[in-house]
Amino acid sequence: WNTESKPNYGRSDSYRVATTQDKDDRSPKKKKGAATKDMDDLKKEVPITEHKMSVEEVCRKFQTDIVQGLTNAKAAEFLIRDGPNALTPPPTTPEWVKFCRQLFGGFSILLWTGAILCFLAYAIQAATEEDPAGDNLYLGIVLTAVVVITGCFSYFQEAKSSKIMESFKNMVPQQALVIREGEKVQINAEEVVAGDLIEVKGGDRIPADIRVVSAHGCKVDNSSLTGESEPQSRSPDCTHDNPLETRNVAFFSTNCVEGTARGIVICTGDRTVMGRIATLTSGLETGKTPIAKEIEHFIHIITGVAVFLGVTFFILAIILGYSWLEAVIFLIGIIVANVPEGLLATVTVCLTLTAKRMAKKNCLVKNLEAVETLGSTSTICSDKTGTLTQNRMTVAHMWFDNQIHEADTTEDQSGASFDKSSVTWIGLARVAGLCNRAQFKAGQDSLPILKRDVAGDASESALLKCIELSCGSVRAMRDRNKKVAEIPFNSTNKYQLSVHETEDPNDNRYLLVMKGAPERILDRCSTILLQGKEQPMDEEMKEAFQNAYMELGGLGERVLGFCHVMLPEDQYPKGFAFDTDDVNFQTDNLCFVGLMSMIDPPRAAVPDAVGKCRSAGIKVIMVTGDHPITAKAIAKGVGIISEGNETVEDIAARLNIPVSQVNPRDAKACVIHGTDLKDLSQDQMDDILRNHTEIVFARTSPQQKLIIVEGCQRLGAIVAVTGDGVNDSPALKKADIGVAMGISGSDVSKQAADMILLDDNFASIVTGVEEGRLIFDNLKKSIAYTLTSNIPEITPFLLFIIVNIPLPLGTITILCIDLGTDMVPAISLAYEAAESDIMKRQPRNPFRDKLVNERLISIAYGQIGMIQALGGFFAYFVILAENGFLPSILVGIRLNWDDRSVNDLEDSYGQQWTYEQRKIVEFTCHTAFFVSIVVVQWADVIICKTRRNSVFQQGMRNKILIFGLFEETALAAFLSYCPGMDVALRMYPLKPTWWFCAFPYSFLIFVYDEVRKLLLRRNPGGWVERETYY
Amino acid sequence: CLSVSSPRSAGSIHCEWREFFWNPRTHELMGRTATSWGLILLFYLVFYLFLAGMFVLTMYIMLLTLDDYKPTWQDRLTTPGMMIRPKGDQLEISFSVSNTESWDGFVQNLNNFLSPYNDSYQVQTNDNCPPDQYFIQEDSGEVRNNPKRSCQFNRTMLEECSGVSDRFYGYSRGEPCILIKLNRVIGMLPGKDGQSPYVTCGAKREDSDKIGRLAYYPPNGTFNLMYYPYYGKKAQVNYTQPLVAVKFLNASVNTDIYVECKINSNTLADGNERDKFAGRVSFKLRINDK
Repeated sequence: WNTESKPNYGRSDSYRVATTQDKDDRSPKKKKGAATKDMDDLKKEVPITEHKMSVEEVCRKFQTDIVQGLTNAKAAEFLIRDGPNALTPPPTTPEWVKFCRQLFGGFSILLWTGAILCFLAYAIQAATEEDPAGDNLYLGIVLTAVVVITGCFSYFQEAKSSKIMESFKNMVPQQALVIREGEKVQINAEEVVAGDLIEVKGGDRIPADIRVVSAHGCKVDNSSLTGESEPQSRSPDCTHDNPLETRNVAFFSTNCVEGTARGIVICTGDRTVMGRIATLTSGLETGKTPIAKEIEHFIHIITGVAVFLGVTFFILAIILGYSWLEAVIFLIGIIVANVPEGLLATVTVCLTLTAKRMAKKNCLVKNLEAVETLGSTSTICSDKTGTLTQNRMTVAHMWFDNQIHEADTTEDQSGASFDKSSVTWIGLARVAGLCNRAQFKAGQDSLPILKRDVAGDASESALLKCIELSCGSVRAMRDRNKKVAEIPFNSTNKYQLSVHETEDPNDNRYLLVMKGAPERILDRCSTILLQGKEQPMDEEMKEAFQNAYMELGGLGERVLGFCHVMLPEDQYPKGFAFDTDDVNFQTDNLCFVGLMSMIDPPRAAVPDAVGKCRSAGIKVIMVTGDHPITAKAIAKGVGIISEGNETVEDIAARLNIPVSQVNPRDAKACVIHGTDLKDLSQDQMDDILRNHTEIVFARTSPQQKLIIVEGCQRLGAIVAVTGDGVNDSPALKKADIGVAMGISGSDVSKQAADMILLDDNFASIVTGVEEGRLIFDNLKKSIAYTLTSNIPEITPFLLFIIVNIPLPLGTITILCIDLGTDMVPAISLAYEAAESDIMKRQPRNPFRDKLVNERLISIAYGQIGMIQALGGFFAYFVILAENGFLPSILVGIRLNWDDRSVNDLEDSYGQQWTYEQRKIVEFTCHTAFFVSIVVVQWADVIICKTRRNSVFQQGMRNKILIFGLFEETALAAFLSYCPGMDVALRMYPLKPTWWFCAFPYSFLIFVYDEVRKLLLRRNPGGWVERETYY
Repeated sequence: CLSVSSPRSAGSIHCEWREFFWNPRTHELMGRTATSWGLILLFYLVFYLFLAGMFVLTMYIMLLTLDDYKPTWQDRLTTPGMMIRPKGDQLEISFSVSNTESWDGFVQNLNNFLSPYNDSYQVQTNDNCPPDQYFIQEDSGEVRNNPKRSCQFNRTMLEECSGVSDRFYGYSRGEPCILIKLNRVIGMLPGKDGQSPYVTCGAKREDSDKIGRLAYYPPNGTFNLMYYPYYGKKAQVNYTQPLVAVKFLNASVNTDIYVECKINSNTLADGNERDKFAGRVSFKLRINDK
């Protein structure tokens, strides 16, 4: 399935959901048809229909029995037919393929081409000359070695992070309780087949997609599938056409939180909803990373320059009368000389360093190239649950004494507190603590309250923790008020009550406490507790209640009402037998105490991180499976919908006009419901993404998340997706960079992602963006630095060909520069601090802001490189002249100079030289040229530190860079002076004065570039900037 | 080429390229307008002119520091090279006695080489110096003692190998003459205590029985001290490089003989191992009798 080339008609239809068949028969490409169709199929909504069937029909369909379950024979038969109930693991790439990808991917191609050309040139020489120079052979070998070594390096680097990945997988085999031939048996979850009757209870993982046939207070946590943070109750009735919404289907790999249920397996393995998503994910093609595209563009430029130079000088050589073969060798030599041998290693090391730095800040990068992607990101599609929020219901607000109080929802309890002295609050806390079945699991006393595990429903846990935090031990409270009777929550009553003895041993009355849906609770109340005094519930109070209820509900919070009553002792004396089945006690005329509302609160660092993203020009879109109101509330809470921005609905409500009359352009924010998304055409979708800066998608299916990501990409955005659930994984995979959560994330999502936030903190993304942008800038500098020395490396060869002077710089010395002295300074630029606040500028435009552009080439090759070349040539001429060969006799001397049989070559002073004697001088020139390049590269690395600022503004705080300067100088001195180098590398000791030849040129580079940057800063947007700012 | 917004296809890519080369709407050639091209070319012209100026300036300063008569460094010339004449493409003297054409080239080569050594010319231009001592012509302080005079090396000093008595330098009889010269190095003093350096030739390894008797001219194969020191091409315009001739009197025929000649001096250091021509010279001799 291919986004780029295929015409788009009909595609949006195919997304359009659910049960409709794919009507249009698009088959211009029949060959691809099968695979394409598969993917399109997967993209459609879930095709489950069993939820609409009656239990009998389901039984018939699967040839099973509602009491006895499958027979063992049938089960075995189905197991053979359908295969084991397990997800097909995504096709893992064999290690050697991964290795080859490192060896032959991207930049390596350039070096391979160079190496092959070298071998070709050597072959030509070997075939035509008696005693071929080994240079081309050595160069070919070195190039090959460089590619192989760098390939191994990055292969092991990635292998390391995939090892960390593997440690995430937990391989505990899952068990399932099935009923076969009337007997309950515990079997391996993999052996479950369609038609099996299975039982699940609180704490179990659901082993397959099941159609519930009976349930007792069963709740499942669907958050990894749909993103809803609240557990959903399950019952045998079909409540919705959409299988994902209906109550009578429970899904593979979701968790049963409480209660028990019995159901018939309807899908297993890859056919489950989860399996389809996983298959969809692994089938998605992902595009190239932005940095890979940049490197490709860079290779184009370099190849262009190389071929241009090569062909020009090939023609020149022919004109100058060289033979065809010689000219071809020159052509190859020039092309190969343009290959920056060290750059591959430099780029790899720079990316690795950043990846390490990010790993330290809890961003684990799976793929080296993804390091930069976050920096280019222009849109972040973030999942809500678990990423933006804590994935933990927490009491957020309370309403008592006719006033809304805010509870502390922060993770570290640093938030605001409310007045806890009110008598009403004590009453409310008592109701919430007593009428609550949740309790802390044993053995966690040392943990902070918020970190403790709780057995029970999410909202009860929230209440428990809230009360424990503000009133001390709930257990003690419960001990003091012994429970006498209890009616658990059910969906018809919509309340829960319990009867307790009072704390006061002298008071023999019973205390009845009740909580439930606020409107139901209110109906049962005749009084209300205000400042500790019972007052009659009048219309005014009812309205106040309604307002509070509306307000809290509008915040996307789940609201519960609480009430209590002291049962009169005369009617309910001590020892009264409370019958909970046939209620024999008072359940109305109660006293209303207050409301408490809960929400999965945003993580503390998120609003700040969202703000930073926004100031960095990154659009943050929330995509969640949760309800629009909750989503909108969280979006407002974290700043995804910023203060003062309204949706169409908000404007309509404010102006009191129908939604249809509002100009959608007036609303910057919008909340889009999944069901509306289904009906949108591609154009409408683009329109929404383009015209709204603050978007929330609610109730979205995994497939829709994918459509949203594709929509953003269609508009040219580089999209990052964060998520933790299986439902996010297709989007994670499709995104330019998928970011999964290390702690809460599902394996599937981590598998699909490129980056993992080890601390699950959205704020770490900001770090990632910052590091990514920095490395992009710094890679530019590194490349500018490395490319510059290409000119002083090529020009000697060109002049050697054209004006027939002795070769000023040899292959070995070129390699010493590219793979020796240039390396550390180039890498040190990766440590360079940002010039300005990189989080305050817009994300780079991938079409305009290239890693390497003509301006960089112009500066590096046309300007700085030329100065460097002159520096090198100056040293060359100085050495030859001081040895007796004045520049005037050098031109045209090459034929005799390189002739081994001429051993009495005359210099300008009349002295005569043997071949070896003058070669030593020539090699000394190579050494001096090499040293000169080191000297001019000092200046180059200093000017490359900044692209706009002066070095005096930037400072020399980059210690690695300073080390690099000393290192390259020491290396150059070592290569020149170490005894034995004359034999090993043909490098000779230099007279001290020869070191200083290039100094004026080094100085010129520094001054020239400072002046250029000064002009650049003085005239923003001026000619200098247009022509030289890279 | 106006449908920029249309989806990319082969045609539009071609179109993009054409537009890149010449965009008729914006009048852009290769992505730049005429003014833009003009400015950038002007910039590079000025920039390169400036660089050229700077380079010329530094070169000029460097040349000012050089001495006209003696190079700054001579440390690579401590052992002077040696060379033979006649010399073909390779250091190989191979000929057939009976085939005149095979050695005619050598004879021509020697004739040409020796023409400045003609006695008449030498007597005319050069001095007859006292032998076995250096011919030192010091400058007195700042005042240069130029032009410096040179000593005569007369062709006849080579006797049998002078080409005077035997026009064919012995090649016609299978007794070839090889001239050996010591490379000129300014200021080099190749001997002390009045002892001139001399050349000895020998065969390499197993060829020693094939080489036969040798005759050296001038006697003992010496480079007389009076030809040293050399003062350089500018100061000593008419310097005549001394020669030693070696005549192979009865070398084996029809076989390759590897000959090595070296200088024997009490001042010159032995050349380094790698340089096969410092203080020595090797060549291949092959005389065919047919």
